[in-house]
Amino acid sequence: MNGKRLFTTLFLVLVLFLLGACAPAPVTTASPEPEATTEPTEEVDEETEAVVEPEPTEELMPEFAGGTLVVAVSNDPGSFNPGITTGFDVHVIADSIFNGLVALDGNANPVPDLATSWEVSDDAKVYTFHLAEGVTWHDGTPFTSADVKFTFENILLNFHSRTKAGLENVLASIETPDENTVVFTFNGPYAPLLQRLDVTEAPILPMHIYSDVEDPTQAEANLSPIGTGPFMWDSYTPGVEVRLVRNPNYFKPGLPQADEVVFRIIPDASTQLQALEAGEVDYIWSIPGPDEPRIADSPDTDILKASSGPGGGFCIMTMTFNLEREVFQHLEVRQAFTHAIDRQQILDQVIFGQGKVAVAPINSSISWAHLSDGPSYEYNPGLAEELLDAAGYLRGDDGVRFTVDFVHFPSFSKYGEVLREQLAAVGIALELRPLERDVTVDVVFNQRDFDTNIISYCNNTDPEIGVRRMYVSDNIGPIPFSNGAAYVNPDIDALFAEAAATADLEARGEIYRQIQEILLDDLPYWWIVETDSSRGIRSACHGFKPWTGHFVEAAYCDDN
Amino acid sequence: MPSSACAAWNDLLGNYLLRRVFQIPITLLGIIVFLFLLIHLAPGDPIIALAGEYGNEAYYSEMRAKFGLDRPVYEQLGVYLLALVRGDLGYSYVIGQPVAAIILSRLPTTLLLMGTAFLISSVSGIVMGVLAARKPDSPVDLSISIFSLVGYALPVFWLAQMMIFFLAGKLGWFPIYGLTSARERYTGFRLAVDVAHHLALPAAALAVQQVALVTRLTRAGMIDALAQPFATAVRAKGVSDRRLHLRHALRNALLPVVTVLGGRVGYLFTGAVLTETVFAWPGLGRLLLEATINRDYPILMGMFLMISGMVIVFNLLTDIIYVYIDPRIKYDR
Repeated sequence: MNGKRLFTTLFLVLVLFLLGACAPAPVTTASPEPEATTEPTEEVDEETEAVVEPEPTEELMPEFAGGTLVVAVSNDPGSFNPGITTGFDVHVIADSIFNGLVALDGNANPVPDLATSWEVSDDAKVYTFHLAEGVTWHDGTPFTSADVKFTFENILLNFHSRTKAGLENVLASIETPDENTVVFTFNGPYAPLLQRLDVTEAPILPMHIYSDVEDPTQAEANLSPIGTGPFMWDSYTPGVEVRLVRNPNYFKPGLPQADEVVFRIIPDASTQLQALEAGEVDYIWSIPGPDEPRIADSPDTDILKASSGPGGGFCIMTMTFNLEREVFQHLEVRQAFTHAIDRQQILDQVIFGQGKVAVAPINSSISWAHLSDGPSYEYNPGLAEELLDAAGYLRGDDGVRFTVDFVHFPSFSKYGEVLREQLAAVGIALELRPLERDVTVDVVFNQRDFDTNIISYCNNTDPEIGVRRMYVSDNIGPIPFSNGAAYVNPDIDALFAEAAATADLEARGEIYRQIQEILLDDLPYWWIVETDSSRGIRSACHGFKPWTGHFVEAAYCDDN
Repeated sequence: MPSSACAAWNDLLGNYLLRRVFQIPITLLGIIVFLFLLIHLAPGDPIIALAGEYGNEAYYSEMRAKFGLDRPVYEQLGVYLLALVRGDLGYSYVIGQPVAAIILSRLPTTLLLMGTAFLISSVSGIVMGVLAARKPDSPVDLSISIFSLVGYALPVFWLAQMMIFFLAGKLGWFPIYGLTSARERYTGFRLAVDVAHHLALPAAALAVQQVALVTRLTRAGMIDALAQPFATAVRAKGVSDRRLHLRHALRNALLPVVTVLGGRVGYLFTGAVLTETVFAWPGLGRLLLEATINRDYPILMGMFLMISGMVIVFNLLTDIIYVYIDPRIKYDR
């Protein structure tokens, strides 16, 4: 009798503890695609790939390569409206569903997207865009110029932080003389417009879906977006995947190539890498430096280099000097930092060569604005010590001249370790303060309680978007990733204003070079390294455009 | 139901149980207030997750106002509690959907993982503990003890990565990550097989520490019980060793095991955060991590509420189970 009870009990223990667990288990994945209409019913049991397209032997690209592309992403954004955010996680998925007015090619030059051509008035105040004809939204509704006007006025200028900050004070009006023409008029000359109209900066949303929505940030359509883009929404399983299918009516002939794109959410970087090497995914966004040679050498995988991507690009790891601190008000001290820091060592040991030493405040990929021959500060610890002596910061008994803190994201701790060692050599004690992102923003920009920090400042496609914010004096304050140095220079303020109002690209570039000369003399920051990203792809895959949100528009794999 | 079980059940229906049940909301309220203050007074706020990183000051203050982040903490707490009373867990800042819906959508996968790990660890831990205690210091005991010591010491994230590297990557026996295969759209039975195939490694990784713990507890409890006078008495009656071990000693040994298992629910969640991250298993553990990084307060609060509730309920269940295992335990009326 007793023994029987014992086993009943044992069983009961397990059952009770598993109470919730046992019942709902079969539910887990039953829901992703209940309809499953497109499923190929024949030959699913075959070990070999079920959907093998006959490989054409001639050189011509097949009309459509077909197949399923699997792309790894790190986070589930949970919502898919690219018009209300600049976040990478949203854009990396949603950009394939939408289009901008213009796209950017691999060198950040504007090329047609929804607009097939455009004219800019001589004074750069009026931009006229001619839209592609016969474009329809994924639900069949025709796309018109009214969608463009609506998207800018009701969505982008209210919610897209970059577009709002950049355009709201300079844009006078958007007019739509006919269904296929949009005219942007500015208060004064405005040069950078074409650089900020691609699908990441200004995705065009459907007016017929969003015009009745009270709050676009919580619209139902954000969970089943309708766009004009190469791929259409299929299904979303939270935390698992987003599936997009080919838009058969895409307005660009011959595109897209693949039948389906699956975004798989894999948070851990090394798991992404393993999945790529095992062939379970076709594309990952970032290869850690130490793994790059292995991925590049393997016959099954390749590396694609890019210095920009959806959500930001052309980034420079930048050390901020808090100019409100007494010690950094001495130019000699700031100069001493530049001579004490061996940036080549940081490039080699911290980012494993994925980038290059920065030579100017504007990224070298923005070649028309980049200053390549400005003043250079060579690595020279002896000179650094002389400068510190001259500034009156002599070594104490313990060999330390002064101590400053160094605020950084935990992921940048390697920079901190190398910098601490290099600066210690000239008598500067660097105290590392690893703080996660939101705390860093609070401490640096709200409380201004720091001496130095390191932040990856992304220039983006135009200095007006990502460079100006770091240097102009009206951008000091509780604004994330703004002028953290608290650098005030009226000449710089005036030159940035002048550059934004200069239509001629060459003349604008000249102004930006002037700005960089001044910045390299004043040294409110120290620009350490330009960082590149290395995307990983399977060797069997082609046509990826790693610099843009439309990265899968033309992509396909030989064997899927 | 045997009569003694009925008596135990009647005991439970007495004051003690009722008292415990009434304590639940009060305990939860305390936890909510404490955690709310804790996460709101911690530095940082969700503004970047909400508004991106290129905005101007006006935009950021507009967004702070829109989500009530500009109001004093006690006011935010009041608003939260009022909504909670109405059963409203709020809206996620970042995901832009109701918190309850988000948590519910992730719950089944986490329960599948945690439940499987729990089953594996309870059953195999108890079995190995009994085996080890049969002949203390024998080779069997030694190898089981070493295994459990090592298993208990291994960090979950490291073990998970090693499993992926060798068992999935090098040997190719298991898929690397996820809940299902990306390139196939299985349904029905094939889907279940696919999920089970994906479940094997994460469940094993999550279970290893628990197996080790349960093994060690069971072994210690068994050895202790077998040394007691009642064991000698039972032996004297001529009962076989097998019967003595399984029917008499194990019952005594299980009491601490049940206590620990009931209290391990919280730990399983901790392990799930790591395991789910490494294996890209789409559950609540990862949601908790993402919400913490993004300062997504409503999600965090919803998760805390659910985990605290589960821990409280499981502790209550543990107390109830005691009565079944040990007839000496009775709760006063």
